[in-house]
Amino acid sequence: MEEEQLIPKAAAGDSDAFGALVSPHLGLFFNGILRILGNRADAQDALQDALLGIYKDLPGFQGRSRFSSWAYKICINAALMFRRSHARYREEPMDSVPGLGEFDAAGHHLDTRAALRWSVDAQALADAERRQLRECLLEALAELPDSLRVAFVLKDLEDWSTEEIAARLEQTPAAVRQRLHRARLQIQERLRSHLRRRTA
Amino acid sequence: MKLLPSCREVRDHLTEYAEGTLTRRERASLWLHLLLCTACFAFYQGLRRLPGVARALLGAQGAPPEEAAEALRAALRRIAGRKE
Repeated sequence: MEEEQLIPKAAAGDSDAFGALVSPHLGLFFNGILRILGNRADAQDALQDALLGIYKDLPGFQGRSRFSSWAYKICINAALMFRRSHARYREEPMDSVPGLGEFDAAGHHLDTRAALRWSVDAQALADAERRQLRECLLEALAELPDSLRVAFVLKDLEDWSTEEIAARLEQTPAAVRQRLHRARLQIQERLRSHLRRRTA
Repeated sequence: MKLLPSCREVRDHLTEYAEGTLTRRERASLWLHLLLCTACFAFYQGLRRLPGVARALLGAQGAPPEEAAEALRAALRRIAGRKE
């Protein structure tokens, strides 16, 4: 049965139709939630909440966007709600986030050639083996402190504005930018190390 | 920020630079540094490409994991429970 036929049935309370409607998108929904929470068990719980939210809100779905896009937003919101309601997703002080030691006492690059190699690496990113790099990126995301990961995911993967993120996370835009920047530096360093090892 | 900031100062402000939230003077200082320092410019280019690279790498969705299927089963059980 096509999605257009499943939507009104599911909205009318047909749970079989609802299951058929959301099943093709479960991977998308789960991965979106997992990137924010960084924990598979929590992502499963948050996805369950999100699916109940989708079911509840489906009668109000106007069809102005694709169903998957509309439902995905509910999933991201469910992940953020889950994060907010669980104490372990607390904000770390920025001092605990390690910096990168690549500079001399005057703050200039210690090894200009090493810094330049990143430009080669960045070039190579588009052509590198996607699966390995994907794994490396997922590991880097999982290792990020929670407050940095959520800033990176919402800004760079979900394309939220800095102001939207700040409002949602109850932070200042400057704090969001700071966390986003730290996240980008750490992820970039991780990808760079991976590519350096690969080409060594 | 100094008129000619160090590489570290530049690195620490690249996201603000990209978002246009620096003062005009700070922005000019970074711009000048990036113009003169190939290492920092290369780093900046890498940083700017990162979101696109990350989206491209994470875009492909494989089969949903078992946790997702279990979440759906649990949600359907709760929906069925509400109807009874």
